[in-house]
Amino acid sequence: MRKAHPQCLVSLLVFVLALEAQALTPSHYLVASDVDRLQAVLSQPFTDLKSAYFSVVGLSKLGVSVADSNDACSFIKANVDSSSIEALFYAAEASQAISSCEIHVSNETRDSLHAAVSEDSTVSQIHQAVSALSSLGLPLASQEVVSALKARISKEDNVVAITLALQTASRLSQQAELGEILEEIEDLAARLDDLGGVYLQFEEGLEATALFVSAAYALSDHVDMEPPLKEDQVIQLVNSIFSKKSWDSLSEAFSVASAAAALSNNRFHKPVVVSAVGPATVSHSHPLLQLHVTDVLCQPLSSANVLVESATSVASKAAILSQTPFTLRDGIFELNFMASKPASGYYQFSVAVTGDSRLVANHVELKVKVSTKVAINNMDLSVVDKDQSIGTKTTRVEYPNKGKASFIADSHQNFAMTFQLVDETTGVELTPHQTFVRLHNQKTGQEVVFVAEPDSKNLYKFELDTAERKTEFDSISGTYALYLMVGDATLENPVLWNVADVVLKFPDEEAPSTVQSKNLYVPKPEIQHLFREPEKRPPTVLSNTFTALVLSPFLLLLILWFKLGANISNFSFSPSSVLFHVGHAAMLGLMYVYWTHLNMFQTLKYLAIIGSLTFLAGNRMLAQKAVKRYSLHHL
Amino acid sequence: MSSSVISVISRFLEEYNSSTSTKLKVVDAYLLYILLTGALQFLYCLLVGTFPFNSFLSGFISCVGSFILAVCLRIQINPQNKAEFLSTSPERAFADFLFAHTVLHLVAINFVG
Repeated sequence: MRKAHPQCLVSLLVFVLALEAQALTPSHYLVASDVDRLQAVLSQPFTDLKSAYFSVVGLSKLGVSVADSNDACSFIKANVDSSSIEALFYAAEASQAISSCEIHVSNETRDSLHAAVSEDSTVSQIHQAVSALSSLGLPLASQEVVSALKARISKEDNVVAITLALQTASRLSQQAELGEILEEIEDLAARLDDLGGVYLQFEEGLEATALFVSAAYALSDHVDMEPPLKEDQVIQLVNSIFSKKSWDSLSEAFSVASAAAALSNNRFHKPVVVSAVGPATVSHSHPLLQLHVTDVLCQPLSSANVLVESATSVASKAAILSQTPFTLRDGIFELNFMASKPASGYYQFSVAVTGDSRLVANHVELKVKVSTKVAINNMDLSVVDKDQSIGTKTTRVEYPNKGKASFIADSHQNFAMTFQLVDETTGVELTPHQTFVRLHNQKTGQEVVFVAEPDSKNLYKFELDTAERKTEFDSISGTYALYLMVGDATLENPVLWNVADVVLKFPDEEAPSTVQSKNLYVPKPEIQHLFREPEKRPPTVLSNTFTALVLSPFLLLLILWFKLGANISNFSFSPSSVLFHVGHAAMLGLMYVYWTHLNMFQTLKYLAIIGSLTFLAGNRMLAQKAVKRYSLHHL
Repeated sequence: MSSSVISVISRFLEEYNSSTSTKLKVVDAYLLYILLTGALQFLYCLLVGTFPFNSFLSGFISCVGSFILAVCLRIQINPQNKAEFLSTSPERAFADFLFAHTVLHLVAINFVG
């Protein structure tokens, strides 16, 4: 075995990496209607300052200004409560989003905002105070904020708090030491849950994930350092955040809008969404393949170059296109695929979007269908005699006409049909998935369907042997309407054509009955359960006779014993012998009772009791007998 | 030929009647009874069939077992065999006979069904 060359290894490594570069593409994204819905949710009339903040700032992130900005501004000014840091935060942020809306704060308010920045406030309070100060254009001490945040992060180690800390840090001066806070992005990213390789989200939910994304990119842009998120992770975040298309609350909608804005407009990562306009199908009537190439906010990437890297036929693996660009028209990227004259079928497109180094998931695989119309040529019908003695008579029928004369075939003849299926425009022969010949008896409603098969030259043949096929027809003779059915996923014009009428004559015709459709779902005849039949017994007379017969030797025994002179004159009425005999009789009685009523365990129990008594008594009795015999013999 | 068989039999019967004690004759009568009972059961089985087979087996085995036990008893109480059964007195033989019969009947009744 020769040693693997280092070059081989390197190329193998590159190949593997290239395979891995078959990166994830977004499976969940906002389409135009979703963006409109998001906008509608954020455009709801304000109920309080908080909802005003969400609406105004959310809409500004979507690039839309609020409906009536003066109204909004006066609403904010009316509802701001200078003693609440939270209210000041909402008011300051909202007013900054509205142009020419300024809020004036007193010195006490400013001091209270500064005072809120300390280790004793929560991260949320620090965030609100810093954001308010920043939006109001007031100076703030960044280093103090940083140290307060660091102290609070170690105490409040949850996702929401750290996200707010990131957001706060993005409002600070760039000279401040934000390095440690920047590292929190990576730590938080590690806490994300990977669901099936498709989604990446916090267990705290959609809002937390979306706010994290917007905070991470805000801070990364601020310090101009790429966030430690891999491209696949970015796409998984896109899938998680944009999988929900209707939002439970205004805050959720706001978080999604923030995340969308962050992902569509930051310095490092720009996820691309490529989708076909309608079904990805081209045909002669619709030769253009149209693609939406947008960012996550469904805005077309007008500056991008969209290129087909390769287009290969799924069936034949032949490459049709290579390095062909799309043209941009009205925000849609188009390509005239039919110009390359592809055969009908499915094609695998590999599309690349270039032009911006930030683009993520810019290589997309698409399956495009090319459909066509089918034309039926050379439809020839004939009745062939089986022994071929009479010449065949072929009739040609043109689609969509019906054959004028009916064709008659009896058991000595075969009915034959040949035709060709071609592509209407190119004339190339086609083999669609479904080519059926249906014979329908109008009187009885019966129909029989056969498959027409193409031969090696793609000429379709169908032959009906009346004698051979009579079972399918239930031997019912009559006039059958012959239909040709052609269908395929890539055909635009499936065909159902009544070609002709065929009169079939079957031998052995039974009385034609209207065929009941074989109804499978009627109740079936009830099955009666057959219990096990008891075994045949001999007649009672016989059994009784033999019972008597079997018991008769006992009589004989008694007679013999009597004749021999056996007697019980020597019976001593000692208690032990009486007890013994009683016990023995009881044991025999127990046997009978066992036969009729008891089981083994009960019998053994009783037997043990009676048996031991009998044994003791019997032992005694026999010992006495032995003594008597011994003394008698040894006198 | 037949006359010699008859004479053998009659002689045998004569010897038997004279030389065997009454006690043994009682046991022999019991043996004959058991034999006949078993034979009649077997005859029924041959004629009518083996249903129910377990009952037939129980009855037949009971007869066979009883016969064997009675033969054992007869051997053990025969004074002519006393030399071979020094440790077994007739009472002991009878007690064994009864115990064995208890077990036999228990099993037979269990099986007769």
